[in-house]
Amino acid sequence: MIQYASIILIMLGLYGLLTNRNVIKIIISLNVFEIGLNLFIISVGYVDGGLAPILTGNSTSVLSFVDPLPHALVLTSIVIGVGTTALGLAFAKKIYAKYGTYEIDEMGVE
Amino acid sequence: MNPVLLIAIPLLFAFLSIMNKKFARPLLLVALLLDVYLVFTISKGLYSIGGFSQYGINLLVDQYSLIGLMVVNVVFFLTVVTNCKEVKRLSTVLLVALAGVNGLLLTNDLFNLFVFLEIVGISAYLITSGNKRPLATFNYLVQGTVGSGLYLLGLILLYSMTGTLNMALILPTIVDKAIPLSNLALPFMLMFIGLGVEAKLLPFNSWVKGVLQNANALTSVLIAGVFATTIALTFGRLLSTVFVLGSISNIVLVILAVTMLAGEVAAFASKRIREVLLFSAIAQSGLIILLFANGLVIPAIMLIIANIVSKYILFTITGKMVDGTKTDEIESLQGVFSKNKLVGFAFTVASLSVIGLPLFFGFIVKLNILTSLFSQYQLFLSALILVVSLIEGTYFVKLLIKLWYSVGEVKTFKVDALVKVVTLIFALGLIVFGVYTKPLTDSLMTVPEEMMEAIAERGNF
Repeated sequence: MIQYASIILIMLGLYGLLTNRNVIKIIISLNVFEIGLNLFIISVGYVDGGLAPILTGNSTSVLSFVDPLPHALVLTSIVIGVGTTALGLAFAKKIYAKYGTYEIDEMGVE
Repeated sequence: MNPVLLIAIPLLFAFLSIMNKKFARPLLLVALLLDVYLVFTISKGLYSIGGFSQYGINLLVDQYSLIGLMVVNVVFFLTVVTNCKEVKRLSTVLLVALAGVNGLLLTNDLFNLFVFLEIVGISAYLITSGNKRPLATFNYLVQGTVGSGLYLLGLILLYSMTGTLNMALILPTIVDKAIPLSNLALPFMLMFIGLGVEAKLLPFNSWVKGVLQNANALTSVLIAGVFATTIALTFGRLLSTVFVLGSISNIVLVILAVTMLAGEVAAFASKRIREVLLFSAIAQSGLIILLFANGLVIPAIMLIIANIVSKYILFTITGKMVDGTKTDEIESLQGVFSKNKLVGFAFTVASLSVIGLPLFFGFIVKLNILTSLFSQYQLFLSALILVVSLIEGTYFVKLLIKLWYSVGEVKTFKVDALVKVVTLIFALGLIVFGVYTKPLTDSLMTVPEEMMEAIAERGNF
């Protein structure tokens, strides 16, 4: 179920990217896209009724653990997402300094 | 020597250069020299980081990645040396870029590849921000981020099917688990699109024009030479050892063929020298990926080497020329080479080699490509490449005639002695390898087998 939700989020993000003509809104759409992606990655490791993958003394089957690798991957991907968002905002600031607007249509460039 | 040093040293120096801004440029040069030295001394093999064997990240050094590392590191070094003035502000970014480039060539893990793709991407956005065209850079950032996001989506789908991220283990697992080809179409298509953004393939490459149109010598050589080569080699490894194209191979071939044709036609129609070169670069990258998609690894690597050398010459000279004359309209640049004969000679050799005239390295490459395509009975592709070469020949010869023969007043520009020497050496290299190719073909001979060896042995585990 969570996978459908995350795919809807990814699609919403892409829709926003394609339809918005405002630099800040584009960055927000990019973030929605990335959040959908990250949720999708986590959902891959999901096991119904699974346990946290920590070795304890109790005898539990390995199969009842959730997959920890997607969690590790998503951590990296979130950090990268934050980096690109920050960089995008820095460029947005530069764009505003040069054109005095965030609307791409009002900038008078191709 | 462990190849991880190729990635770790630049990253460490990047960190140090932030604390000591004064030493940033010396640190960059030292890191580049160390990397060039390391590339020529590391031994082949599979190195697992942290001793986790197939569960962790592996770095693979085989003939393929060695050739890539040598070419890319040497050209990176020369680019930085010949553009010392522009480098100053960008030293830290270039150090990070160097780490990313080496990582992309070495890594044997799909997720690690994504991380390096983002590192190279972010440093590329920062390098292009020097063009004073923030909107073009922003456009590049958005497209690059969405592209690597799609790559990540494809890779996670692949992971949920195969349970591994190790590039050497993907194909054997697909065979073992008998995963149907129709299930694999989606992840591979997503990964193809994701890499296609950085590799400048046609529907995903609208950032290229904005970024390279106003680029100086440093930016254009790095983006169109060093980064393009790295991405092409990474793409090549994925296409030859990981991807199972199956039902989507026709779509892929159409995308690549159209990229090539449209690139050359756009170059033919351009009136500005940097536009001509950037569209020609798009067409070349389409051709390179096309060769990899058809399994022609050796001609593809030869083309990549020819491409990075000629792109270095063409973009460096053009960058310096535009800096000196303040214009890049071909009409107003008429006859510039009549005052700068040495530079003009290097430029001419590089462009004739790109066209593929005999005596130059490009001819050997084109010959190799066509004979291997004919031996596969790929008549349509061979015809397409011949047509494309014809268009290429027309606009490059037209460009050269304009640049050599003057009508009226001739603009002049100054070029450092170092740039002259380096471009001339590269130009002579193109001629030498055009006549005497044996050492190169010998060292390329074993590449395809070695690439397959890692898969056959399942990464030596």
